[in-house]
Amino acid sequence: MSVSVAERPAETEPARHLAWRGWLLDRAPFLVACLMLLVVVAIYGALQKGVFTLDEINLDTAAAMTLILAATGQTIVLIRGGIDLSIGGVISLGTVIAATQFSDDPLTVVMWSALILAIGFAVGALNGLLISALKLQPFLVTLASWSILNGIAMLILPTDGGGVPGWWIGFSYNQILGLASPVWMLIGLIIFWYWFRATRLGITIQATGSNEKSAFLSGVSIARINVVTYGLSGLFAAAAALYLTTQTGAGSPTIGKDYILPSVAAAVIGGVSLFGGRGHLLGTVIGALILTLIGNLVFVLRVSSYWQPVMSGVILLVAVLASSLAEKTARGQEQ
Amino acid sequence: MDLIEVSGLTKRYGGIVALSEAQFSAWAGEVHALVGENGAGKSTFIQILSGAVHPDEGKLQLEGQPYSPINPDAAQALGVAAVFQELSLIPDLAVEQNIWFRREPRTALLTVDGKALRRKTLELFDKYRFPPLDPARELRRLTLAERQLVEIAKGLAKDPRILILDEATSALPAKEAEWLLALTRQIAAEGRLVIFISHRMGEVRAIADRLTIFRNGSTVASHVATAVSDDEIVTQMIGRPLVRLYPERKATATERIALKVDDLRSGSRLTGASFELREGEVLGVGGLQGHGQRELFQSLFGASRATGSIELWGKPTQIANPRHALIGRDGIALVPEDRPGQGLLLTKSVRENLTLSVIRRFTDKGFLSRGREAALVKEMVDFLRIKAGTPEQLAGTLSGGNQQKVIFGKMLLTEARVLLLYDPTRGVDVGTKGEIFQLMRDLAARGYAILFYSSDLPELVHVPDRVLVLRSGRVAATLGAGRVSEEAILRAAVLDEAA
Amino acid sequence: MSSFLTRNRLILLAYLGMVVLLLVTALFSPGFLSESNLRSTLVLAAFVGIVALGQTFVIIGGGIDLSIPWVLNSAAILMTLLCAGQDLPLFWVAPLILVGGAAIGLINGVGVAIFGVPPIIMTLAANVILQGLILVYTGGSPTPSAPELIKFLSVGRLGPVPVILLIWAVLALVASLLLSKAAFGRHLYALGSSATVAEFSGVPTARTIILTYASSGLSAALAGMLLTGYSGQAYLGMGDSYLFTSIAAVAIGGASILGGSGHYLGSIAGALVLTILTGLLPALNLSSGALLVVYGAVILVTVSLGSETFASLWGLVFKNKKQKTEGD
Repeated sequence: MSVSVAERPAETEPARHLAWRGWLLDRAPFLVACLMLLVVVAIYGALQKGVFTLDEINLDTAAAMTLILAATGQTIVLIRGGIDLSIGGVISLGTVIAATQFSDDPLTVVMWSALILAIGFAVGALNGLLISALKLQPFLVTLASWSILNGIAMLILPTDGGGVPGWWIGFSYNQILGLASPVWMLIGLIIFWYWFRATRLGITIQATGSNEKSAFLSGVSIARINVVTYGLSGLFAAAAALYLTTQTGAGSPTIGKDYILPSVAAAVIGGVSLFGGRGHLLGTVIGALILTLIGNLVFVLRVSSYWQPVMSGVILLVAVLASSLAEKTARGQEQ
Repeated sequence: MDLIEVSGLTKRYGGIVALSEAQFSAWAGEVHALVGENGAGKSTFIQILSGAVHPDEGKLQLEGQPYSPINPDAAQALGVAAVFQELSLIPDLAVEQNIWFRREPRTALLTVDGKALRRKTLELFDKYRFPPLDPARELRRLTLAERQLVEIAKGLAKDPRILILDEATSALPAKEAEWLLALTRQIAAEGRLVIFISHRMGEVRAIADRLTIFRNGSTVASHVATAVSDDEIVTQMIGRPLVRLYPERKATATERIALKVDDLRSGSRLTGASFELREGEVLGVGGLQGHGQRELFQSLFGASRATGSIELWGKPTQIANPRHALIGRDGIALVPEDRPGQGLLLTKSVRENLTLSVIRRFTDKGFLSRGREAALVKEMVDFLRIKAGTPEQLAGTLSGGNQQKVIFGKMLLTEARVLLLYDPTRGVDVGTKGEIFQLMRDLAARGYAILFYSSDLPELVHVPDRVLVLRSGRVAATLGAGRVSEEAILRAAVLDEAA
Repeated sequence: MSSFLTRNRLILLAYLGMVVLLLVTALFSPGFLSESNLRSTLVLAAFVGIVALGQTFVIIGGGIDLSIPWVLNSAAILMTLLCAGQDLPLFWVAPLILVGGAAIGLINGVGVAIFGVPPIIMTLAANVILQGLILVYTGGSPTPSAPELIKFLSVGRLGPVPVILLIWAVLALVASLLLSKAAFGRHLYALGSSATVAEFSGVPTARTIILTYASSGLSAALAGMLLTGYSGQAYLGMGDSYLFTSIAAVAIGGASILGGSGHYLGSIAGALVLTILTGLLPALNLSSGALLVVYGAVILVTVSLGSETFASLWGLVFKNKKQKTEGD
């Protein structure tokens, strides 16, 4: 017969007195991101006058908003333990549809906006469905749909162009109580996040990213979670596209790919785990602000604007390395 | 009336039959134990009951109604809840979130009501007199024993009519295990059914009203616990006299030391092991699970980082990685515990698996010689009597025993003469078990030095020359010939608990 | 031989698909099967095929290389800049750029194998960083035309045979030998099937991973230089489409995108299929946007066909054979 196997860890309470260290290690990436933002703001403030004003906050938030929206969807997918490359296609397609279909009539604009958001959600849901039904890797499915959506965008509008109504472009200049509409959007987004992560759906998405098998054994339908997660990512990408047209005033069939890596980068810089289960939108927002302000710095320093993607790539790699190191240390402690 | 009744239950995985024609019935208000060897089909059986696995054939009835849950959710809705070993918990959620996962109390805003969640958790802990546990801690910060408590709480929170406990006591310290046994009786007394799986005969004796015995993927008998003796149970679990399974033990060890380990440490589990393994010797490694056996084997093979000194054939050696360990005749080879995860490429052929570690032995200037490879493959297939149609058959389609032989063959081809065997007979059929033991003795007679861990006590008693017992990551005792018995091993393994 | 056929069913299907596609194309545009048109199709396929070589290695090993577009583009731009239209500098510039491409791949491989960065992130970041650096370096201005020697290599002919086809044939031979006849191939397939099993079997996993990414950088750099000969000069964005085509070619060729299977012979078929498709679309009055749609659809369909879900369907279709292997 088999042995009795009374498992008993060698140490009974190895980690308790190290609890605060664990707490700190968990939040290390987020705290580092906060520090990084402070440093970037300080440099920016030293080089440029009038940085510490409400106007500047309005401007920077307006500039960062496309990335923040795209990265919100990406954050949800990353917490689920996946990745969404198709947001590049959704953003391109969204701007192209908006730039070709919007007219001065507000009703048309509202209708087409709703349709663009619906398309974004549907495309994402389809991604999620294919990932679950065919048991394919998320990056492959979303890579393919990126290509397809990009192609459709080019069919609709082969080169940059089209246009949106003037009042639509003015969106980010509208102010309430001295704060521009993007700032209010950001506040709304953060409130949404605090609500969303406390709902059963939010917890289930996090749980599925933390350990898919355990979640399945607890009765979670993985397919349904994938549909919702990637659907939300598509929805936020479509919202990013709509917002982007208020900034550029035109459609571009190729602009979306410029947001794929930064959306992942913003989340990872902000402490969202690439392996799922952990992350917070506040971190992503800080990541997105860092990436945007680096763009400002490049401008202030009068060096080539092409340095911006280089910097975001380097920062991303540093963040990934740092988080994987923190993860290893944390795991070593828990053993 | 029977609360649950099962007949003709069968489940196959590929070519392997996990469960065949199983019968079972149990009524409300009893504790019903399932006993049997590892791989006898108990876990497949309860996975089917709990809706995690679908049977291929068979009839299940719950209170006289057909019962075929499509998933664990459906089973739970019908009042069947299982407590698996740490399987369904989410590392990044807090204790209370885990216990009430997907059934959390909610506010009007559809968010989880944190206060109600805490209150319900404390009520649950209170009702069943749980050992102290912080509801707000994240699961990944808990010890194994604490996680097991959470798993139990999660099962109880569903207020099930049928509660399945799978080895629920194995991860618990003595006091908590006792608490759980008392709790089990209490739950049954409330008129519910507890299906209880344990490898500890004492526990089964203490709480079970009836027991069902599993053997080789089938049920062999059900008994009222008081009407059957331990000997009868064991005989039915094994199904035949055990004597022939173990080969004759001839002392083949020489004076030459093959492997000398001094103060080896790795992670928090292996905290300073020292021992010597001689040429021609089979040295058993025992002790309770989780006391450093896995870390010992992985460190010696270079698969996890360790400090301490290792001498191979008298030469101090640093083993940085498995590639480094498998350097040839003076190397060290491992038959790992996780066959599909660490040992075998299931989607590759027997040939590719066998020769994977010795590609150098049949390459000329970087190019493979298929002829010389075929010769090596034939040598091993014949030597180990691997039953495969052709060497091109995919390893994943072989039986468990033959898969294990392929892994042995892969390691033997490296010609390393120090062999680490980590639970090599787990999930292997009885016939192949006997062949593996004979092979170990034959290799020892040819001068191999073998370190042998088994989760099966009788194997440790009957196969090796000496047995090391690990406790808390150190060698607690070395039992020489004549002093090895199940009692002696267990006593050395739990001495600190008795003291 | 029959075992090779059953095991590489997907490769055969890819070639079958290519023949069917060729016939369909011939129906739509009768001129397609002319000698000159076939030749130019083969030349275009060669670029895809060369890029796909490294990607094949990477994917068999269980990874993915998304840095191809700008490795290719950087190689093209640096080569034309450094040579300034002259042939002579090519003798030091070409080796330098090949080494540079391999070095980028090496960095990718080290990031993935040693530091555990997910391949998508590592290679996507490398792509963006390279793009930025090249743009900073050139300021986005156009580059001189390609050296004549490069033009000869990419569009020239030896008798009736385009030179680039000879280059491709040699590379295909080397790649096939590496996969089928060399220790490297064994290591690679084992790595892609299960990295842990490979590690526990003594396979040099880190070295193998690094080599695959290095070879991908190398083949992308080579393709980039040759491509300048075809288009006459280097331009920004010339590598973009090769991201999708390289992955699609490998997928069509039957490599499981989860790693562990596939062969360069399949990727060759994939490159041909994609190029014929590219040629077919203008005949149908379709634009480059449609091409992207097709690439995406092709990736999706082919990886679906190789997926677990479809594997069970394949199992039903090939039931006899399956039973034979399991019955032993």
